[in-house]
Amino acid sequence: MNIAVLLKQVPDTTAKITISEGKVDEKSVSKWSMSPYDEYALESGLQLKEATGGNLIAITCGPERAKKMLTDTAAVGADTLVHIPDDGVSDSTHVQKLLAAAVKKFDSHVVLCGKQAADTNGGSTGPGVAELLDAACVTLVSEVNFSEGSFTTIRPSNSGTEKVIVDGLSVFAFDKGSSELRRPNVRGIMMAKKKPVESVTSSDLGVNLNPSNVKMNSQNPPPEKPAGQKFEGAEYVNEVVSKLRNEANVI
Amino acid sequence: MAYEALDFYDVDSLLTEEERMVRDMVRDWVDEEVIPNIEIACRDGVFPDEWRVALGEMGVLGAPLKGYDCPGLSYTAYGVICRELERGDSGLRSFASVQGSLAMYPIWDFGSEEQKNYYLPKMASGEWIGCFGLTEPDYGSNPGDMITKAEDMGDHYLLNGAKMWITNGSIAELAVVWAKLDGVIRGFIVEKNDPGFSAPEMKGKHSLKASVTSELVFQDCKIPKDRMLPGVKGLRGPFSCLNNARYGISWGALGSAQACFDSAKEYAMSRIQFNHPIASYQLVQNKLSWMLREITKGQLLAYHLGQKKDAGNWIPEHISLAKMNNVDIALEIARVARDIHGANGILDEYPIMRHMANLESVKTYEGTHDIHNLIIGRHITGIQAFTREA
Amino acid sequence: MDFTIIAETNGDSLHPTTYQLIGAAASMGSNSTVICPNGVGSLEAAKINGVEKVISATGDCFNIFDGGAWASALSSMCGEMILISASPNGREIGSRIAAKKGIPIIQDVVSMTEGITVSRPIYSGKAMESLTISGSAVVTLRPNAFEAALAENDAPINVVNQSADVRIAIQEAINKASERLDVTEADIIISGGRGMGTIENFSHLEEIADTVGAAVGASRAVVDEWGMPHRMQVGQTGKTVTPSLYIAVGISGAIQHLAGMRSSKYILAINKDPDAPIFGVADYGIVATWEDAIPALKSALSDLQS
Repeated sequence: MNIAVLLKQVPDTTAKITISEGKVDEKSVSKWSMSPYDEYALESGLQLKEATGGNLIAITCGPERAKKMLTDTAAVGADTLVHIPDDGVSDSTHVQKLLAAAVKKFDSHVVLCGKQAADTNGGSTGPGVAELLDAACVTLVSEVNFSEGSFTTIRPSNSGTEKVIVDGLSVFAFDKGSSELRRPNVRGIMMAKKKPVESVTSSDLGVNLNPSNVKMNSQNPPPEKPAGQKFEGAEYVNEVVSKLRNEANVI
Repeated sequence: MAYEALDFYDVDSLLTEEERMVRDMVRDWVDEEVIPNIEIACRDGVFPDEWRVALGEMGVLGAPLKGYDCPGLSYTAYGVICRELERGDSGLRSFASVQGSLAMYPIWDFGSEEQKNYYLPKMASGEWIGCFGLTEPDYGSNPGDMITKAEDMGDHYLLNGAKMWITNGSIAELAVVWAKLDGVIRGFIVEKNDPGFSAPEMKGKHSLKASVTSELVFQDCKIPKDRMLPGVKGLRGPFSCLNNARYGISWGALGSAQACFDSAKEYAMSRIQFNHPIASYQLVQNKLSWMLREITKGQLLAYHLGQKKDAGNWIPEHISLAKMNNVDIALEIARVARDIHGANGILDEYPIMRHMANLESVKTYEGTHDIHNLIIGRHITGIQAFTREA
Repeated sequence: MDFTIIAETNGDSLHPTTYQLIGAAASMGSNSTVICPNGVGSLEAAKINGVEKVISATGDCFNIFDGGAWASALSSMCGEMILISASPNGREIGSRIAAKKGIPIIQDVVSMTEGITVSRPIYSGKAMESLTISGSAVVTLRPNAFEAALAENDAPINVVNQSADVRIAIQEAINKASERLDVTEADIIISGGRGMGTIENFSHLEEIADTVGAAVGASRAVVDEWGMPHRMQVGQTGKTVTPSLYIAVGISGAIQHLAGMRSSKYILAINKDPDAPIFGVADYGIVATWEDAIPALKSALSDLQS
């Protein structure tokens, strides 16, 4: 079975984000990591690979630096490393087309990814790629299993969780999974350095990146939080709660 | 907050991809498994067995050794591993140093083929822990006058004597013990259950509390003839081991120093006195800037020495300089960091006092600071000053 | 620009977010077409100001949530500009509709102005991004970020029966008692300190936690003195947390505690000592005993939930 795992390299969630000239300054990012939900997808992919004797294809669309992340995935067991340079990629349709084409090119039987990337926080990729592949998609899953020719997965429901069975080619978008990504070891690292990263461009994939109708104007620091407000007495609780909802938008 | 290693000159950008991956692997493990548990381990005075298992699973024990299921990494990678481990705790790094450089290395370099095949794979996997017996109660800086001796009894050797300050002693499956056979220093492998051998733990340390330190006692200890290391005679044996361990320490000490710097910087930025963070005061900035300066120099020293180790164009004096310097600055950085933390610096909420107490041992073991000065002094002048005898 | 809104529902009625989606379209000077999947809330939707017509989309394909089936049933009814709630299901349907139509999707928008220019948080709120859309797009809106439309309308309702391939089936419902979250994964944390008086009083914090799906944390002082589990401890030697909202009750705010929680997005401090250092890092501070403040907080929060 060919298991495609879609991954993205993002600034580590603990890294400071600084803005310079209306754009997030990538050079000032102290640490790049695999997006956290993608790690759960990768671990689940590795377990599927072990259970089915499959082949794990790690795919990323991103700049040159993202190749490092692919090599890291090889250290824990990815078999094929696919890098799609992100030149000319400017909106969700581009990324999805490239990823879907790569999934097809590598003849994948199942696609795993994170529910959203830690940089764009969108959540469009999994279902979007599924649509382009005419595949089923289940999002916010915590595990994926394969038995008797079909995939089952666990997703949240109103009353807890539910076990869902899916037919045919499927995309699973992971929330926090049931197992953490395994740690590499020196043996894996030694093998990983010998594993080539295949670069596949948009033209290799036959994808035409048409001009986008979305233009990024600027990226900015979040609005300054209002100065701390202090209230004397429990009678202000209601007022504070409404501020938490309307001003801070956190409840 | 995620640990952001101080690397002012981007020295780590000189690492190979493989070395970087090994660094990240060990760093993540230290963050996730060591730092949250180290204070409890110190309080209980134990080396957590899970750490032995994890080091074996990661495959970092005996890092630079090749073959016999050993990792086969570069010396630079070995240094990086020591640095990352010691950011957690010097006791943890000591465990790895002793296993790799002092127990596995002599078997790898001086052992028979049978010895290598029998011991090394299980030591690399962490299944068997090793220790190293050189220092004696009365012979520390002067190991050449050791008392422990071995006698050839025809079908076995008989060991008598005692070793002291032996890291991993009581938890070890085997000890590489240096003893005199007919007046010549030779290496012997002693196994845990050999008759006449015991390894009582030394209690009451104020330093390296998460590391096991023991005595090794040999009372008519009987070992088979095939346990002597055939490949080396004299002090060259133990000194080759020490060279590798000291090399690892020169990197390791930087890990402690970086941990102390990190904590001091964080603390200085958040501690408010006289209405402002203490980091905004010149005296504190002076301290932080001095720390950065010394760490950066130490990093360049360690990296360059690593390259020399990998290229094979090093002399023991190079290692003496790096061990001496980097431990010295790490200890001073720990003290200054304690100062920046004020009274909070003595609490186990911060890693400072633990690193500081650990580094007092690190300054002394594997060649004291002063002995390394004498090694370099002899290199400069050609005159040995260890002893008044010529 | 014509706006299509896919209603967010709450089981058998409209979710309040639907009013905000319609309000957002109205603020752009547009009336909207509201599609109610499975027909849920269509009568209610017809009453909301700014709604031109309601499409009650019915069919077996809506019996279970399959984003692919829903998107395929709904997309042909959607116009140029499609607004959906940035809820998990909304994001999924929106992504599939966008991919099906070959148009971009912009998720989790918090403001929208003529142009159309939108802004959205990125990097988990550590930055904001401003984008201009020319042409068709799907936009998901963050709940509670837009003014809700009022309900004084009477728009027509068309019932459209749709069918689509459903490719997923529920094999087993797993009901589980909702476990309380761990402090490292919760979006809201309510922590108590020595000011809580006794360990028994933590039950009041737990009740609040259960109301809003929060985790319960503690300061080192009470973890040590009252023998509470170490995994609850927030601070220098405990967990470092960065929730959206950190509620500190009876915690004075020693530097070791602040080290573990000061990066929280918002901090609410409740303490009877007006000079407690915790107020120095709090966005909202209430000077009161927990005995006075906690019951009020509990009822205010449960009012919001219902």
